[in-house]
Amino acid sequence: MNRVVLTPADLLRWVLILAALAVTLFPFYWMVNTSLKPGPEVFQSPPTFFSSNWSFEAYRVVFETRPIGRYLLNSLVVSVGATALSVVLSALAAYGFTRFFVRGAAAFVLFLLFTKMLPETLLIIPYFQIMASLGLVDTYLALILAYSSFALPFSVWMLIGFFRTIPRDIDEAAIIDGASRLQTFFKVILPLARPGLVAVALFTFIIAWNSYVWALVLTTDANMFVVSVGIANLVGEYRVQWNELMAASVIAALPVMVLYGFLNRHLVSAITAGAVKA
Amino acid sequence: MTAVSDSLSRPALPQRRRGHTARPGLESERWHGYLFIAPAFIFLCAVIVLPLIKAFWTSLERTRGLNTMFVGFDNYVRVLESEAFWNSLWVSLSFTALCVAMHMAIGLGLAMLLNRVAHARAVLRVAFLTPWMVAPAIGSTIWLWLLEPQFGVVNYLFSAVGLIDSYKAWLGEPSLAFGSIVAVDVWRGVPFVMLLLLAGLQTIPVEQYEAASIDGASPLQQFRYITLPNLKYFIVVASTLDIINTIRMFDIIAVMTGGGPVGATEVLPALLYNTAFRANHFGEAAAIGVLLLILVLAFSVLYVGLTRTHAQEGSR
Repeated sequence: MNRVVLTPADLLRWVLILAALAVTLFPFYWMVNTSLKPGPEVFQSPPTFFSSNWSFEAYRVVFETRPIGRYLLNSLVVSVGATALSVVLSALAAYGFTRFFVRGAAAFVLFLLFTKMLPETLLIIPYFQIMASLGLVDTYLALILAYSSFALPFSVWMLIGFFRTIPRDIDEAAIIDGASRLQTFFKVILPLARPGLVAVALFTFIIAWNSYVWALVLTTDANMFVVSVGIANLVGEYRVQWNELMAASVIAALPVMVLYGFLNRHLVSAITAGAVKA
Repeated sequence: MTAVSDSLSRPALPQRRRGHTARPGLESERWHGYLFIAPAFIFLCAVIVLPLIKAFWTSLERTRGLNTMFVGFDNYVRVLESEAFWNSLWVSLSFTALCVAMHMAIGLGLAMLLNRVAHARAVLRVAFLTPWMVAPAIGSTIWLWLLEPQFGVVNYLFSAVGLIDSYKAWLGEPSLAFGSIVAVDVWRGVPFVMLLLLAGLQTIPVEQYEAASIDGASPLQQFRYITLPNLKYFIVVASTLDIINTIRMFDIIAVMTGGGPVGATEVLPALLYNTAFRANHFGEAAAIGVLLLILVLAFSVLYVGLTRTHAQEGSR
């Protein structure tokens, strides 16, 4: 145990860091704090920063009186569906790009980059028109297709990065040993790429889980709302019960927080690959 | 982890090899590559290219009741003659400029603070990233409660420390609403920039700073002659990406203000949404979307140009 000596400069550094951290995290503290208060206390002035009456009552009430469970289920189905579709397609594509000389590969990758930068509000117009004419509004399929459209470019991009780290000699060795291309891909390369595949799948899931505009436009029936739309919709109601609303927000935010815990290592590459939904 | 300069540019792809290398079974199956790529390619054409073409087409049409007719560029003319569009363009540009400037300044400051922290950096990094992890729609919902005019904690805290003399309706007055939206976006956007610049700072060899210290350079000089030149590429790329992301941003506005009051927060995506799904003018909305796309593409081209020249300079 070596003694840590704090110079004045270090002290200032930590004061600034902690101040910034307080501003960053305070909204989350307030969300949790409010969600644990009983109804009347929410509308107290001055507000209580630490309540002696904390309880999970608001969580129980919001689950019983609102279809929060249903929203969560919708989000889960759509996010898992979009993730599965994107990861399968992008694993194949990333393999193709990193193993073979493909004419126009560079142009395709550039196209991926541009699709990641498209304003989604432009695309929701034709999506709504197409889905309405096909009778697919308020279906999981419409949302899965929409979510995959912005998730796929991102996952192809990230997986190319992962597949590149697997030497091509491994494929060649497998082929010389008599494996077919597809066998090589499924039996040799996919297992090796598993950490990358898991990371990309989790990121894709988060992007889908967090998305809002698409579901806002493509669902009209409250039973089909995903969690972000369902919760934002509660705000518009007469006399919002803020403790219940914050309880619902905690429930919606928690899965994402947990997933990010697993992904810390890949954050930078994911961010630059466009995991950022504006 | 990949080298950051690498991850900031495009993924490397196999290059055509000169001459014939004796790699058994690989040259003969060149077409396999296309088979692997085809599913993703076809899917993308269906879910992105087709809708894009349809959006362009819609921008040239007008629907009145049950009949749709081709009107050429008439929607564009109407949009460009409307006051709402110019207000929206101004709101978008000022919103983006303000937010990106603040993201960059605060992000760089935080990155420099965290760069010298020896322990707990990983924990701090995750803690600072939380606003960016949470869905924008959920984050905005939290802020609606924080900014609530009567019981919101922001009013309470600000008046307690004497920043305001009476409780404000933060989202009810045009200038306050605009400021609030910027504040929320800054809270959300700083982590992204911080993370990129932190990665950039870690590529600078410590020896450079040590040498400068020995030569008697002040911290300010070190920042100016070591940090900034080394970070230049990261700063330019991060701000370009950030501009693209901020100019498309809709979720915060959708949840918090819907573009009001009186258009004070009606950024282009919000105008587009309101035109399409509140006023039911799909043709004009699509025209606004195409104009927004042109704006975004300008910055995308800039971004690609930047990363490409960088990739060529750093011989890989």
